[in-house]
Amino acid sequence: MNFFNVTLTLSLALCLSGLLFRVAVWVRRSLPGSAHSPAKRVVYSLKETLRILFSPKIGAVLLAFFRDSLLQLHLLQKSPLRWGIHFTIFAGFMALVLMHAMDGVTAGLMPGYEPTLDPYQFLRNLFGVMVLAGLAGAAVRRWRNKGMRRTTGSMDWFALALVGSIVVSGFALEAVKMSSQQVFERMVEDFSPFLEDEELAALQAYWSGQGVVFDAGAQGKEASAAMQEQGEEVNENYCGSCHANTASAFVSRPLAMGIAPAASALDAANAHETLWYLHVLLTFFGLAWLPFGKMLHVVTTPLNLTVRRVAVSSGPQEMAAGLGVDACTHCGACSAACSVLPAFLAMGNRNVLPSEKLISLRRDAAGRLSDRELAAYAEGSFICTECHRCTEVCPSRIDLQQLWLHARKELITREQADPHGLIVRRTAAAWSAYFQERIPQGANVVDTRRPVNLTDRRESFWPCIQCTTCTSVCPVVAAADDPVHELDLTPQQIMNLMRMGLKDLALGARMVWSCVTCYKCQENCPQGVRVADVLYELRNIAAERMRPEPSREDEDTQKGAQ
Amino acid sequence: MKYAFFPGCKIPYHLPQYGQATRSACTALGIELVDLDFNCCGYPIRHQSFVASMFSAAWNFALARQHGLVILTPCKCCFGNLRHAVYWLRENEELRQRIRSMLHEQGLELPPVNELRVVHLLQALDSDVGAARIASAVTLPLQDVRVAAHYGCHALRPGAVTQFDNPLSPTIFERLVKATGSEPVDWPMRLECCGNPLWGKNDRLAAKLAVKKLVDARAAGADVLCTACSYCQLQFDTLRPQLPQEAVAGAPPAVLFPQLLGLALGLAPHAVGMEANTLPSALQALA
Repeated sequence: MNFFNVTLTLSLALCLSGLLFRVAVWVRRSLPGSAHSPAKRVVYSLKETLRILFSPKIGAVLLAFFRDSLLQLHLLQKSPLRWGIHFTIFAGFMALVLMHAMDGVTAGLMPGYEPTLDPYQFLRNLFGVMVLAGLAGAAVRRWRNKGMRRTTGSMDWFALALVGSIVVSGFALEAVKMSSQQVFERMVEDFSPFLEDEELAALQAYWSGQGVVFDAGAQGKEASAAMQEQGEEVNENYCGSCHANTASAFVSRPLAMGIAPAASALDAANAHETLWYLHVLLTFFGLAWLPFGKMLHVVTTPLNLTVRRVAVSSGPQEMAAGLGVDACTHCGACSAACSVLPAFLAMGNRNVLPSEKLISLRRDAAGRLSDRELAAYAEGSFICTECHRCTEVCPSRIDLQQLWLHARKELITREQADPHGLIVRRTAAAWSAYFQERIPQGANVVDTRRPVNLTDRRESFWPCIQCTTCTSVCPVVAAADDPVHELDLTPQQIMNLMRMGLKDLALGARMVWSCVTCYKCQENCPQGVRVADVLYELRNIAAERMRPEPSREDEDTQKGAQ
Repeated sequence: MKYAFFPGCKIPYHLPQYGQATRSACTALGIELVDLDFNCCGYPIRHQSFVASMFSAAWNFALARQHGLVILTPCKCCFGNLRHAVYWLRENEELRQRIRSMLHEQGLELPPVNELRVVHLLQALDSDVGAARIASAVTLPLQDVRVAAHYGCHALRPGAVTQFDNPLSPTIFERLVKATGSEPVDWPMRLECCGNPLWGKNDRLAAKLAVKKLVDARAAGADVLCTACSYCQLQFDTLRPQLPQEAVAGAPPAVLFPQLLGLALGLAPHAVGMEANTLPSALQALA
């Protein structure tokens, strides 16, 4: 076995076992909402698959695959630019895989195929250019578009860079081979070993005259017209049937001309071999890495798009949900459309954004979130307003909303909740002690980080005459069977604590957290005290002191927001 | 009249009939609604962060201004929060500066404070079209239908901030109900809270407040309880099956005002999304 076959086998084995590992994860992992045993999941999914394969639905499946996965018409519908970028990368790379990477197979399918003949030589260049143009478009879009840059991470850049390097190394290899004396000699040796010296010199002169630049100038320019003519004849007899003129290689050929001055040095350094290893290793690395990074989407997204078209929503959904989670391409469309995006920008928790929350959800299911990260993930989960936009715009058609709803329920069972949900877990007195330990520096006088600050300013409460109007009009007080026990404090008692500068004592009071925000207290206050606004502010203060510490990434966002 | 339509987070997925009914009724009365890529109004996040809430609201005003449009929302909670933003951005210089620079970082511009404008659907109907013109456009007057108009807190109060109507004795909703040919009932709890803001936070209390109002509307002899707010409708219709059934037996079903109006204007029930309501009895009461 040679180097090529060994590395190919190895990376294929890695790729396949990685894919199997992913499927095993769908079987075994418990995502939020999981309820069925692994055996049930497998049996159900197999049964469903077989049922669909042998039903009239198969036609719809194939049509959907053609429209969604091959033509990606759903992307075209949303944005022609985005479709153009994605489709050129996809189509270019797939064509290269089929026609170039697997040219052993191609040769079997197309009699007369030779990589060095036209149109294949030309097409290889064309497909390479398509990929590079698409990648450049994607990179520019991710960089220039504010919405996309926010969610673009190292994994996204890495994937773009990897695909780009595979193609660039391919072009470089082709160009160096064109200008390599060694490669020329090897080809003559392999394909026309019986050439006379004179014929060989003529052939070399002919190729040099064609502008292919190995040994540039030495023979090509000085060769006589007769010699060129003889070379052309030799070429026709021995090479022409398998090797076209390189003129149609519209990228590699100019590149070869460009590096001509360094051609002999590169040849002496065996550049063509180095580049061959580089190109092959990069490609095989991409193959082996496929199941472990975002490029997995080339497998999972078409699968998910198809499954979501035909699957029914009853029965064990775990495998489908697992597939859905893995079908995320991290394109960022959900986060750019997220209704609570401003909340992320103002509060700086990346988990507010669907694309980032999904990463946490996946890591959480694998048990890889620290306590702090879990709290941040929960905060993001509860800030979601369930507007469904992420699910609507997702080009991979992941049922995100379903994941979020399940995740919330599951987080609640793990003692996570929004501030309202957390407050009921301790008594007002216990919270009061907790909050007093967490007074931010400098916030004990007037917290200047809050532009509107009522609670730290006693003058907000000077007019209060403790007339109890706020309490008597409050529908929450009226609905309570036993206000003292159910609410800890009445609105008027809270205003009294404010008058005395004892706001920390009120932060955990049930009244503060049971307020329906109907504003009757404030509307009816004869003294114009902003009772409901004060209750809002108390919730803000408490919520801030209950927040998880920010991650380093989030800290940057928060600094930006202040 | 042309407005930027602000559906909020609940209408597109949880209450599509409200969006549909609003569009149908507005089209019928010559109000043009334009769709923009709005964010959340900031109402839900206000419990946690006032600044985040005001920033969300301001973002929407910046978008509307780019298109030279005034925001129209059928949701009273969206309306209320957007009005709070107008009020505080006008009153508080420091907040204004901070929000302006936060918007600037996103390539948006905070409009001048006197150009921060939002109206509620009822206001647009009342002042742009007017009860008299609505009444003359009505082809199928809903005679003998007794309607309990449910005001919704966040548009009404605090009156100084929302400037919706007289916060202690409003008339706008009854005026519009009358224009449809139906009869508004007088019910003591018409200005009370529906209880929805506590749903998911304190379900028992949220249900208790809803029951109180439904019982009051029933006692006043209402055939339907009419809402003009996403959250109120969710509370009285979508969540109705989760209320204690014995307590609310015989209480009127909830209907959205543009549904009521649309039917009176002669629109088909499906054009105002009646089939999407949880309680089918709403349509029966109006038939």
